[in-house]
Amino acid sequence: MSEVLGEKANKTEEGEPFFPNHMLDQTMMVFVMLAILVTLVMFFPAPMEPPADPFVTPEHIKPEWYFLSAYQALKVAEHFSFLGAWAPKVLGILVQAGGLFLLVLLPFLDKNPERHPRKRPFMIAMGILALIALAALTIWGKLS
Amino acid sequence: MNEHEKGKALKEQQPSFEQRSGLRELFELFSLTGFVYGPLDERLNIKEALEKNLKKAVPHHVNWLFCFGGLSLFLFTVQAVTGIMLLMYYRPTIAEAYKSVVYVTNNVPFGWLVRGLHHWAANLMIVMVFLHMARVFFYGAYKPPRDFNWVTGVILLMLTLGFGFTGYLLPWNQISYWATTVGTEAPGAVPVVGGLLTTLIRGGAEVSQTTLTRFFAVHVVILPLVISFFLMGHFFMIRKQGISGPL
Ligand code: HEM
Ligand code: HEM
Repeated sequence: MSEVLGEKANKTEEGEPFFPNHMLDQTMMVFVMLAILVTLVMFFPAPMEPPADPFVTPEHIKPEWYFLSAYQALKVAEHFSFLGAWAPKVLGILVQAGGLFLLVLLPFLDKNPERHPRKRPFMIAMGILALIALAALTIWGKLS
Repeated sequence: MNEHEKGKALKEQQPSFEQRSGLRELFELFSLTGFVYGPLDERLNIKEALEKNLKKAVPHHVNWLFCFGGLSLFLFTVQAVTGIMLLMYYRPTIAEAYKSVVYVTNNVPFGWLVRGLHHWAANLMIVMVFLHMARVFFYGAYKPPRDFNWVTGVILLMLTLGFGFTGYLLPWNQISYWATTVGTEAPGAVPVVGGLLTTLIRGGAEVSQTTLTRFFAVHVVILPLVISFFLMGHFFMIRKQGISGPL
């Protein structure tokens, strides 16, 4: 970027100045985002469903895609009904609350001071596992 | 003195075009830059502060993966602007909410565009916040001293999801009504206080006008205020600590 602007002289040991070099990079990304956004709006208008009717339950009620994994996790928990009538819902919600709790506390649980992914294989593996679980539950929720 | 230098000297004597025409004064008057760079700057050192902040070095290891946070902020701005525009027509009652959304979409000039932008930017914002969190995770940027910023970040993620959850009910259509009915049942499974939670969120036994009023207030007033507060905290910490170093 800096070469384009002929701003090479502005480069320091520490890095490039925020303005205009980095600002320009960021602005380009914003325009790419804007292009994606406008394309989506043009080709896939916001859906117009039928009006709400509390007396007619539709056949397939599904939450938005970003809540599908949580929704599917609640459904999976139903398989634990052999533990008692309380188990499915309570387990489903407690496991998710626990997951959120772990996410908040991540920096305090992960005591390894290393930052490079190669030097902290355990946390990286856990992260990838969590991502796979999220993706699998979302797709499962979408298909079921 | 050659021709070129002569011309230059002449130019310096004469007032420039801008000065002669008063264009500069006009520009400064309307843009207030004269004020900001003149009397205000003398008192507040604005120029110096701006320069110091804008010229701040961004380290070389910062690559495109570091842009997801900024993109989340951009999309939030789109949401605030389009959301306020939708507010000009939206009516938060079960009798009129649906009609007002249909009206915006079909009758208001560019209403379809504003609603479409709000709809899609909401989805994209959630994608960007997730990608941003993944970047922070894989770069180990959540480690001290940035541990508290990670906590602020998780709160921001929850608030963003809260926007999506409450906004979804507002058009008051079949999907939004029933998805909210199912969604508000989930907290009911919490031991002991579950039933109370569901009633509290719905403002009654079922999803009703009270729920819509409640979700509307949360979506357009409470969440925007709360998220602004945490965003300021997030950015203040980033500024203070600088971006995380190279791996
Ligand atoms: C509305 C949502 C959010 C916005 C607008 C936002 C914005 C930003 C911005 C602009 C940065 C500068 C660096 C970058 O862009 O990568 C940043 C850094 C950071 N964010 Fe966020 N963020 C949000 C959500 C989150 C979430 C969900 C988390 C984690 C759970 C998080 C944790 C962090 C951390 C730890 C840093 C410091 C990273 C470093 O120094 O390398 N943020 N955020
Ligand atoms: C200051 C901020 C905001 C204001 C004033 C606002 C206002 C509104 C209004 C009036 C509606 C009803 C119109 C309609 O349903 O089309 C709406 C819908 C919605 N909002 Fe927001 N909003 C804001 C921010 C956000 C954010 C940050 C998100 C998501 C991350 C979001 C997600 C939604 C969703 C998903 C809908 C349903 C849209 C649809 O019809 O498909 N909003 N908002």
